[in-house]
Amino acid sequence: MTTLAVKNFSFAYDTGQRNILNNISFSPVAGSFNLLIGPSGSGKSTLLKAMAGLMPKFGGIVTGGQILLDGQDIQPVAPFERAKRVAMLFQNPDRQFAMRTAPEQIAFALENIQLPAEQIQDRVADVMTRLNLTAFAEQDLMTLSGGEKQRVALATILAMDSDIILLDEPFANVDPQARQTLLHDLQALQQTQGKTIVISDHDLSGYAELVDNLYVLEATTGTLQSASLTRLTNLAPVVPFTGHPNPAGDLGWRQLHVSVGERTLLTGTTFTVPSQQIGLISGSNGIGKSTLFKALTKQIAATGTITWAEQDARKIKAKAWAKRVALIFQTATDQFVTMTVAEELALSQRQTAYPDFWTAERVADAVAQLNLTGVMDHIVYQLSGGQQKKLQTLVMLIMGQPVLLLDEPLAGLDQDSVQAVMTLLQSTVHATQQAILMISHQRQGLADFIDYELVFAEQQLRLVGGATHA
Amino acid sequence: MPKLNPTVLLVIMIGIGFQTAFVKSITMNLIVAGVTLLYLLLAGVKWRYLGVMFAISLPLAFATWVSFIAFGTGNTTHLAWVYATRLYAYLFLGGALTLTVAVKDLLFSLHRHAHLSSTFTYGLLAAFNLLPRVRRQVKTIQYAASLRGVTYHLWSPHLYFKAVLSALQWSDDLALAMTSHGFSEGFPRTDTINDPLPKWQWLVAVLLIAAYAVGAWVIQPR
Repeated sequence: MTTLAVKNFSFAYDTGQRNILNNISFSPVAGSFNLLIGPSGSGKSTLLKAMAGLMPKFGGIVTGGQILLDGQDIQPVAPFERAKRVAMLFQNPDRQFAMRTAPEQIAFALENIQLPAEQIQDRVADVMTRLNLTAFAEQDLMTLSGGEKQRVALATILAMDSDIILLDEPFANVDPQARQTLLHDLQALQQTQGKTIVISDHDLSGYAELVDNLYVLEATTGTLQSASLTRLTNLAPVVPFTGHPNPAGDLGWRQLHVSVGERTLLTGTTFTVPSQQIGLISGSNGIGKSTLFKALTKQIAATGTITWAEQDARKIKAKAWAKRVALIFQTATDQFVTMTVAEELALSQRQTAYPDFWTAERVADAVAQLNLTGVMDHIVYQLSGGQQKKLQTLVMLIMGQPVLLLDEPLAGLDQDSVQAVMTLLQSTVHATQQAILMISHQRQGLADFIDYELVFAEQQLRLVGGATHA
Repeated sequence: MPKLNPTVLLVIMIGIGFQTAFVKSITMNLIVAGVTLLYLLLAGVKWRYLGVMFAISLPLAFATWVSFIAFGTGNTTHLAWVYATRLYAYLFLGGALTLTVAVKDLLFSLHRHAHLSSTFTYGLLAAFNLLPRVRRQVKTIQYAASLRGVTYHLWSPHLYFKAVLSALQWSDDLALAMTSHGFSEGFPRTDTINDPLPKWQWLVAVLLIAAYAVGAWVIQPR
């Protein structure tokens, strides 16, 4: 059985910077299921990457201690030898494949670990079946949903037969159902094949039955502590957000029909996005929520009518439309136009529709509220995932388009950050009368902020608590 | 018709293409263009493709021809025709490779038969697989800028700077993922590439290149 041991490990992103990981000792028991939690930016990704032997090769410096794979320093071990024993599944499902299709990707990994050629096809077919991927065998990986991509990534790891599987927030872009399926797959791997699982996540739901050990990474000290499993059972239940949208708003649509290729996602819905309120769109992944946002921002074509104050959107030019309806992307880095945090904020302050509201003082307050004060001169691409999300939301909020469509603004944020972002959104829309519609799988702690909920299912948008179809 | 192996095709392309750069013969250019066009048609390349290729290159060939007639020295008419026909010799010679062979097959073939390193092969392949995403990303960057009151035209350097930044970010993530999937530079991998290269194809390559050399340097037609 493979053992992986972190011994008094300390790590910094650069020389002279404080340790992001401080004197960490952690040896997952063989065949156990371990959950790692901690606020965004606390270094969970870094710890997992180091445990996979990818750090410091891909950045940062070890400032103390070591990581041992079967009693040997993990760093000098060749990647193909490492991969057979410890493998990693990454946060962003889009960027872990070198090949075009799932079977090609899995075969690529098997060739890397030098599995004899005659066994490769069988092994590929076997894991494709076990993870229900045969339907996607010919499909371009790029066209799969987030959950499906993560299943392909898991299949790859499964094929390599790595004893230890590290997963870095693998569900950030995955819907609850697909997440449940994946968690079930992981549990099966742990129980039937004795795999050791270490997973980091913000969302604690669904883990109570699975987890053997819970660890907390403290952001302030950079230390790792064992925590009681009761934290996983005392969770608030999921309740739908009932509430009534205001009748008045500028952006609306009638008989809107959205499809991608042959597939119809949404058919014949009518709704007006109410001003001064925050609405939530919920629904399974791949059901078409992001695509709806793309249609509303005129990134893709849709049939039916989209209107602005009763005027047909087709009569409004793209540039003018971008001043009315703004998309806040799921991938935060896509939003940035400049290099540093300070430059991003300065650009939005110059261009804001509400120069009187977004005074220098108010911006500084918001920055402090979101805990970004310390990173003002950092390059935006070097921020942690959580910091990028917070900055992205802030700069777009400052821009002040009357309607903001936020695609997963809370993905990868810890509870404190979620509260900070939602408080800021709420106080702003109340002051500026902007309308916010957001897609979010994360719904913990949102009860005080969401004014109404639209459920996206079966090609329809349904208002929670509403008698009629929205 | 038996298809030529991608590596053999590349060798023929380089072997003849290199000589073509020094040969000032209209006849030789027309022979190369004609033979490769024939190969393209036999290989089942669509007429439409070839038509588009021809249409796009026509103004370029014409401009080349005009500039030699107008500004050339010596036998301008002859040189004008040499350079105009050379363009087509190169166009169809290149097409014989790029229009009949997928990038993946070419890279795997070179890996198998020409010792192209794994790192290069899979790095390039991953990059090619990312191309559609790059195209989409350029659109996203333009839209993101417009949301911030900034306009990026297709000729804005900012646009490409951002695109390169995204690509760099992707390449880092990709390298991380490839490493985690066991890809190791400088170590052997299982070879599952099935890319037959019968010996007679090398003979074809040698004969074609030699025939061209004899034609171009011994016979020297106009």
